Parts: sequence; C-alpha cells; structure tokens
Amino acid sequence: MTKETEGGQENDSENHGDQNNSQTWGLVREKLSEYISGDAFSRWFKNAELVDPEQQDGLVAVQSDMHQIWIETNYMDELRAAFAEGAGIHCSPQIVVKGDVGADLPEAVVGKIPLQQENQKIAVRGARVNNPVKVVTPNLEEKTQAFQRKLKRLGINPDFDFESFVVGDNSQFAHAACSAVAHQEGRSFNPLFIHGRAGLGKTHLMSAVAQQLLANDPKAKIVFLTAEHFANEFIEAVRKGNLDTFRKAYRHVDAMLIDDIQFIAGKERTQDEFFHTFNALLNSQTQVILTCDCPAPEIQTLEPRLISRFESGLTVELQPPGFETRVAILRRKMEQWKVELENNIVVHIANQIKSNVRRLEGALTRVASYSFLSPENMSIEKVDELLGDLVRDENTHLVTIEQIQKAVADYYNLNLSDMSSRRRPASIAFPRQIAMYLARKLTKLSLVDIGDGFGKRDHGTVIHACKKVKSDIETDPEVRGAVEKLNASLERQN
Amino acid sequence: MKFRIAKEAFLDGLQQVQHVVSSRTTLPILSNVLIEASEEGLRLTTTDLDVGVSGTAQAEVSKSGATTLPVKRLVNIIRELPSAEIEVSVDGKNVASIKSGPSFFKIIGLPDGEFPPLAGFSEAKEYKIPQAIFRNALKKTSYAISTDETRYVLNGIFSSFKEGKLTLVATDGRRLAMVDHELEFPSSHETDFIIPSKAVQELQRLLGTEGDMILKLSDNQVCFEIGSSIIVSKLIEGNYPNYRQVIPGDSKERLTLSREQLLETTRRVSLLSSEKSNSVKLTFGPNQVDVMANSPDIGEANESLDVKYEGKEFSIAFNPEFLMAPLKSLEEDEVHLDLIDEMSPGVLRTEDAFLYVLMPMRVTS
Repeated sequence: MTKETEGGQENDSENHGDQNNSQTWGLVREKLSEYISGDAFSRWFKNAELVDPEQQDGLVAVQSDMHQIWIETNYMDELRAAFAEGAGIHCSPQIVVKGDVGADLPEAVVGKIPLQQENQKIAVRGARVNNPVKVVTPNLEEKTQAFQRKLKRLGINPDFDFESFVVGDNSQFAHAACSAVAHQEGRSFNPLFIHGRAGLGKTHLMSAVAQQLLANDPKAKIVFLTAEHFANEFIEAVRKGNLDTFRKAYRHVDAMLIDDIQFIAGKERTQDEFFHTFNALLNSQTQVILTCDCPAPEIQTLEPRLISRFESGLTVELQPPGFETRVAILRRKMEQWKVELENNIVVHIANQIKSNVRRLEGALTRVASYSFLSPENMSIEKVDELLGDLVRDENTHLVTIEQIQKAVADYYNLNLSDMSSRRRPASIAFPRQIAMYLARKLTKLSLVDIGDGFGKRDHGTVIHACKKVKSDIETDPEVRGAVEKLNASLERQN
Repeated sequence: MKFRIAKEAFLDGLQQVQHVVSSRTTLPILSNVLIEASEEGLRLTTTDLDVGVSGTAQAEVSKSGATTLPVKRLVNIIRELPSAEIEVSVDGKNVASIKSGPSFFKIIGLPDGEFPPLAGFSEAKEYKIPQAIFRNALKKTSYAISTDETRYVLNGIFSSFKEGKLTLVATDGRRLAMVDHELEFPSSHETDFIIPSKAVQELQRLLGTEGDMILKLSDNQVCFEIGSSIIVSKLIEGNYPNYRQVIPGDSKERLTLSREQLLETTRRVSLLSSEKSNSVKLTFGPNQVDVMANSPDIGEANESLDVKYEGKEFSIAFNPEFLMAPLKSLEEDEVHLDLIDEMSPGVLRTEDAFLYVLMPMRVTS
C-alpha cells in the first residue's frame, strides 16, 4: 500500500472522489481474494461495489438478497481484514443490496437511521450523492418508510426529532440532558424528569430521544406513551385479570418514556402500580423519562414516595422561549415549509405570541397560508387581524388580581378580604403590598386598575408599595424568597 | 352441548391441536380450544392467529353445540381422569361439567362466537400431494430453517410448484437444504410461497405415510388438509432470496461414503468437541478419511472411515451438528460429498434430488 493511496483518500475534491473509490475498492478486493477461495470470491463478490466512501467506510453494495445474507453470515471477518490490510481502513463493513427503489435496508446499519435506497443507487452509478449521510439524526426525508412506520406504531411523531428542535436559553439544559440520555452517556440521569407548561416542547424532546435510541439499536424495546394510556391499560388489565401480561409489557423494556405523568394524580391504584413499575425499571437500570406540566412537588394528590422518586434523577425545565428563540423557531419552520415572509412580519409575530410554541407555529401557519393564497402583501395590520384570537388566548392566560390576592392571602394565612380592607397592621399591610407588587409585575393592568382592585386605593399607594417591596427584595432574603415562590406558583397556575 | 367420549380419544384429539397454543397469549380466548359437537362427533380447533389446527375426535353427541375451554388445563384434567369413559356437558354460560367415574370437574370457558375463525379458501389453488412425499421432503429440509428472527424471510420453508416438480428449500446462511420431487399439477398452478416454521412443525406432527394431503393456497394463507385434520397458516410475506446462487459449481472431488457410517463416526467424534472448538475435521488421505475433534483442556477423538479417494491430501472442517442433521434425515445407504477446497462449501448429495450445501469452518491445525 503506497503513501499516495493514503493521501488520496483524504482528498475529497470531486474530481478524485470516484477515482479513489475504485482504487480503494480495488485494493480491498485484491486482499479479499487472498482470504477466500476463488469460487467464493467470484460467486459472492464479483459485482460487489463500494458505496459512498466519503461519508461512510466499508459500505458494500451487492447484487441480491442472497448475496447479502451469505456474505453477512460467512465472510465479514475476511472483509474487515481486507479493508484493514488492503486499504488501511478500519471499519465495520456493512452490506447493502443494490436493488429496486423502496427495498428496505437491513436494520443492522449501526448507529445511523437507514438511508433511502435511492441514495445507494446514485452512489453505485458513480455520480455524486446529493444528500450526504448524516452521522447523527438525519432529517425526515432520509428516514426510511420502515423506520417511520415503526415510529408511528409506537405512537411517536417522526417530525419530533433532535434536528427539528430549536434550542434556546429556555431549553438548553433540557435539550442537553435529553441528548445525553439519547446517546446513552448519562448514566446518572435516571429518571429524567422534564417539566414545562403546555406547548413548550416536552413531547418533542422525549420523542427525539426515542428516535435516537431506536436508531442506535433498532431492536430496542421502547415504550412511549401517555400516563393516561398507562392508566387505561392498567385498568383494563385489572379488569381482564391479565396483570401478568401488563407487567411483562411494561417492565421488561429497554426504555420507558411517559408523557404527562401528572395524569396519574388522584388515581391511587394506578399510582401504586406505577410505583412498582418504576422501581422495577430503575432497579434494572432501564432508562425512564417522564414529562409533566409542573414540577413534581406541585402535582396535586401524588404520593410523596412517587414525588421523591421522580426527583431522584435529573429534573429539567422547559421555559417559554425568549424573543430570539421565538424568531429562530419561526425561521426554522419557514425554512421547513419553504415559506417566505418579510422580517418585520416575523418579528411582529414573535412579539405577539410569547408563551407557547405550539401557538406560535399555529400563528405562522395562519399568516403564511394567507400570504400564500392572497395577492396582497402581508402587513402588520393584517397579521393582527389574522392572529386576533390567538393573541387573546395569550393574554387571558395572564394572572388576575384576584388570583394574586388569593395566593398571597393563603401564603400569609390571611383572609382574602384583608387584601382590600383598610386594616393597617404590618402583618396585613405588608402582604398587601407584596400582592400589589405582583399585580404590577404579572398583569398588564394600569396602576389605577390595580389600586381599584385593592379596595379602591390610590394609584400612588400602588407605586409606593412596588418601590418598597422591590427594595425589600434586594435587602431581605426572606422577602425575596417569598416573592419568588409566589411569583413562580402564580405563573404556573396559568 | 353434551357428549360422551373415551378418554383416549379425547386426549388424542386434544394433543393433536394443543401445540399451536402459546403459553403467552395476548387474547385469553387464544389459550382455549374450540370444541364443536355434532352428530359426526367433535371438532377441536386451536389457533395463535398465525397458525391454526383443527382435528376431530370420535364421540357420542347427545346434544350438539359449541364452546371453548382452556386447552392446557383441559388436557391436564383429562389425562388424570380415573375412568376410561368421560361425560361432558356444557351449559349456556360456557361452564363445562366433566364427569368420569367418581371424579367431577367444572371449568369455565369462553363463548365459541369469540373464537377467531380459521381463514376460508374459496378461491384457492389446490394441489394433491401424497403425504409420504411431503413428509419426507419436510424432514429433509426443516432442520436448516433459520431461527434468526431478523431474517424473517428465512424463518420458513420455501416451496415451489414449477415444471412438474415440487421443490422445498430451507437455509440459514450457513447451510442450505433443497429437495425436489416430481408432482402432477396443472401448469396454471405454478407458484411459490414460504411456509412459516411453526406450520412446518405442525405438519411434521400430523403427516402420515399413507394417503394424500390437499394443499390449498390463497394470496396470503395456506391450508393443509390431512385426513380429517386441517392446518391453516399465514404465509411469510416477502421474496425468498435466490437460493441457486448458493450452490457451487463443479466440484474437484466427489467422495462416496456410507451414510450411516459417516453419521455414527461424526457422532462419536463430536463427543470431544466443545463450545469453544465446535468443529470436526475431515482429513482425506489415500482411500481413507480421518474424522477428528479436539478441545483444549478436554481431549481429542479420532476415527477413520474407508472411502475411495485418490486425490491429494486435504482437510476440511465442519460444524458437527450441521453435518449430522442431513445424514439423520436421509434414508439412503450412500451419500456423495462434493468438495472443492477447505475454504469452499461442501455439498452433500444423494441419488435422489436432494442437495445440502454446508459452509466449512476454519481448519485449526
């Protein structure tokens, strides 16, 4: 093996690509013929070709199914040695069949989601492949029909993968954790508890993990379901008397991914069963991922032993995306749908819809469809018109003064009426001030409106209250803690 | 439903059909046997949704009807009953009362209406095949079926009706068994299909040596009528790979050996093969072949056989199980072993249309 050959392999300019391909393959073949008999070589490797060597080493395309089966069963050691000794390439060779378009590739393509057969055909003819093989999750067009079918059977949306997830400050940690789990690097991230409000991407991330796990090991038994489904199945199993089968289905798996675990709140028997399932899985070091619309301790009527277990691994939160992330999400969708909109329109949409990615995408769909169907240019006014109800939904989710007052009253053990009363002792006045501060922060109401809400107080009183609480937050950790807690729980209620 | 039946007859009938029932069923009714009683006697049917078996049992039916009962439990009960005569009556709620001598049993069944019906074969191609021939052909090939579930197309026997011949092929990537037999059928009925290995097992259990079997083929199901018994099975969907590709061309050496001697020698010698050294080496010398096995830390074995051989000395190694399997399935006195070299597969042939390709193992010195 000469130095020129090795150098040649690293040169990836178009002109030398094919030449190196056949040079490399020639060397491999020569070596292979030393290892196997003449009859075997001619019978099985006569028309075998090396495929797409720029992207993957050792991908060999053969004439028929039988060639693939026989070579895979009998000649892999020799082939591996031929690559190593003949061309200096260390790889795990893979055999594919040149054949009709649409034939499914063997699932033994380790670590990658199988390519569409079309790419193989193009490569085999020696022409340039347009869609290079991606080593991590390739995007949707490249997933085979078989893989997509498998996902659908498991209840996973093929669109929800790592590729299509836009990472921002709001989701960076959660995304990193999921990525680590998907590549099985995070032994300590078990269980992985992902929480966040509706429409922020919990199901998307969990689906992405499932897809990557399946790509890594097509034979993996992945259970992907909603807690509601789990509960229903459990009830059915109890009813039919085949708990054994149920348990087998949910305990002898490679990964268990459950969406919206808050659903089992209040369901005693289901929680009990889930507790046992959970323990069994964790004891056998099976990866468990849970999503929830709130942090574990806030799930109402959930057994404490479950709460502690949910928190025993890693908990990550998905928060509403910031402005830049929202714009990035919109741009990504526009790219995917091949849609074009003026920059100011995109920015306006991002400014209008802030709390929910699903709603954001819905807004984009509406605006993009209208823009596509209508002859007039899209304008800010038109956007407002189109998104009217969505924007209203955004705002109704804001907190009300009453909610704030209730929360603060509860927290400080006061009556709701105290919030609006004229009573002045500090034990009542100070919470009232906190409530006013929160009202200013969390609602869009004017100072006058807030004042009105607290027993017709003057707007100046509200200003004073806000200033005072703000400075107390900075100096008194107790106050800071209380306000943060109240703030958080109020935001979550919506 | 009410009937009287001899213990032997009931047990026989049930045992004919019970193997299809798997111990882990998804639907409870699949653990049950469908019992249909009429003036002609009993019909017993079981299924696992892929393969279904239906057989008959002689009985004195005083009241016809149908029900399904858990087959495993039923067989266990019937087997233990003290008397040779059994009386069974089933009420409207599918509760079966079984009386035999002083024993009384009651078991709860499920309604016959819930039992999944076996597929119908109204527009099917029909073939008439002597049982002995089919049984023999299955015997000669079934051991080579692949058990690797990722290669599902190979998890059955490829069967083809072509040019006046029935051909069966089975392979698992390391060996391939093929057998032909002349058969009469209309040329419009030329086709091929793949019989799943579970159905093959049932066939081997039920096929006899006399009479004919009727094979009915629809788009995706096959039915075998053997006497009053029926086996219905889904076919394996997919294209069977081109098996002819595997068969080597001209051999360098053809050796003719006594089948029984080769089988027994290999069996004895392979006692000294182990999981680590799972091979048996054949060294061909002037008019003899030495069959050897050796396992480090255990020992070695060596036996020679007479064989007409005048070529140069050479050795080839095979997996002993894979070598013995076809020898066990054949009845001929002599077999021909066609060899090329130590890295090429050997082919075992008989005077009949039987062929077995076996990949060699690496020869350890």
